[in-house]
Amino acid sequence: MLLKRYIPVAIVAFFGALTLSAWFIDNETIETFANDDATQFFDIIAAFAVFLGALNLLKLQFIKVLKQQSEWQYSAIAIASFFFAFIIGFFIRGAFFVGEDVYFSQQAAEEAVVAMNSSDTVRPVDWGAHVQTDGSLFQWMFKYIFSPLSATMFALLAFFVASASFRAFRARNLEASLLLIAGIIIMLGRVPVGSLISSWLIMYIIAFSVGFGVNAYTRNRNMALGWVLGSFGLITGLGFTMGWPIDQPAIFYLPALQEWIYLVPNLAGSRAILIGIGLGIVATSLRYIFGLEKSYLGE
Amino acid sequence: MNNKYQVYAVGIVGILLFTLALSALPESLNFFREEKSAMFAFTLTVIMIMLYEVRLAKSSSEDIFLRTIPGLKAVEEAVGRSTEMGRPILYVPGIMDMNEVETVAGVVVLGHVANMTAQYETELDVPVARAIVMQSARQVAKEAYMTQGRPEMYNEDMVHYVTDDQFAYAAAVNGIMQRDEPAACLYMGKFFAESLLFAETGNSIGAIQIAGTGSQTQIPFFVTACDYTLMGEEFFAASAYLSKEPELIAGITAQDIIKVLLIGFIMLAIVSRAFFDLGLTDFNLITLLNL
Repeated sequence: MLLKRYIPVAIVAFFGALTLSAWFIDNETIETFANDDATQFFDIIAAFAVFLGALNLLKLQFIKVLKQQSEWQYSAIAIASFFFAFIIGFFIRGAFFVGEDVYFSQQAAEEAVVAMNSSDTVRPVDWGAHVQTDGSLFQWMFKYIFSPLSATMFALLAFFVASASFRAFRARNLEASLLLIAGIIIMLGRVPVGSLISSWLIMYIIAFSVGFGVNAYTRNRNMALGWVLGSFGLITGLGFTMGWPIDQPAIFYLPALQEWIYLVPNLAGSRAILIGIGLGIVATSLRYIFGLEKSYLGE
Repeated sequence: MNNKYQVYAVGIVGILLFTLALSALPESLNFFREEKSAMFAFTLTVIMIMLYEVRLAKSSSEDIFLRTIPGLKAVEEAVGRSTEMGRPILYVPGIMDMNEVETVAGVVVLGHVANMTAQYETELDVPVARAIVMQSARQVAKEAYMTQGRPEMYNEDMVHYVTDDQFAYAAAVNGIMQRDEPAACLYMGKFFAESLLFAETGNSIGAIQIAGTGSQTQIPFFVTACDYTLMGEEFFAASAYLSKEPELIAGITAQDIIKVLLIGFIMLAIVSRAFFDLGLTDFNLITLLNL
């Protein structure tokens, strides 16, 4: 009980309070602890914990291969990739310089020297530097296997954004319809063609949409037609009288409208969420520091 | 005026006087960062309100009202659905380490979910992206199964490490989803671009999806693709909500009181700024408090 409960809670309380106090106390020791030492302690623990993670990963993948569970072939690839990265990271330099040229093996580098009849000597890259040297085997793996695979996953986002937007933008209710309209305005307002659409056209579209609404609500076609024609006439008349250019009145000009949506209602909403998140983090942290919440220990 | 609010009013005045006294200390004795006085007073106010609310909750026999959070109510529904379908539950505690409050909150919620899976005898799968998270999550899950009297159901490998890399982890989790077709997917923690990769894949397999995060930029993705989303503070309140412990719920009450105070302060700051801009006053609250 003492080891599993009280000591961990005391450690959290002490270091939490110390880190918090570093914000308010002008003391170099406390500040260094909070900004450097504490994060280094964490990094050291994390570095050791990686071994546990790697062992767990290997164990599960080996079990899958040995028991030939469904799609065990992927596990075999995972194991092979793990050992490939491990070996070229720890046991193979993978970079031998001849002048500016880099070769994966010493033999290849020596053959190149002979083939070029060069006076250059073969210089192996330093251990440690080999994982970051351009042209090394490790960097080759990173550049031609790892990065493309990561980029592939990232690129999937484009398609997922499209499918998610398709679902979100279905005008099922008032909120979804507002989202759809705001989305269209933001998208059109942010592309060059958006600045070519005049405020007049937007006003006509709004007047037409309201006409639809009037018709749906009153079931009176004449009234709706009257509204549409009247408002079209009003917009055209006002436009010519006041000499509105393409971007006037600004409230109906898409680039200006999208900026307003983005900077006013959107920002207000996101700041409200941000304040909630901030308060949540403060309250949660204080619950841990004061030992009110102990469920992270499994209690 | 209610006694509780009198205590808060007196307490806030006391905190302000204490902060002023600290700032007024002679230079040789002064370790206090004067420029952070406002933040210091705010922190002390939060601590005072929280501790007092906890004290009140401990001494009171009355239940504290908590509004229904659909996302949290749905957790039990999701576990029940998985049980009925005989399929596992996938729990993703984010991609960051235990030094992020959101990850800690995610691991805490995992404890509650593990309690339910132990009760319902449902399979739980927790792939993690950090080895320290793996250890913490295992401890939490193990305790949950022990508490429910089902230690034989706990299997250490239900919480397993995949990789630290963001997209490799996303690929692995998506692979698990496609192969095992979990009936429920829960995403609780800190997420970045992989959030939509998870949520859309989960959607494609027809899983009930519940997400909770404080990552502001990922909330829209989760809202779009998941059935329920715990936004920001709801996510941090999840542990208290699920545990139903008065001490923890009191923390949420304190949060709400602080929110009301903040709203009042924001209004005051707006008025002060307006007066300053109109030239009616020669100071503005935000600049005055060094915020």
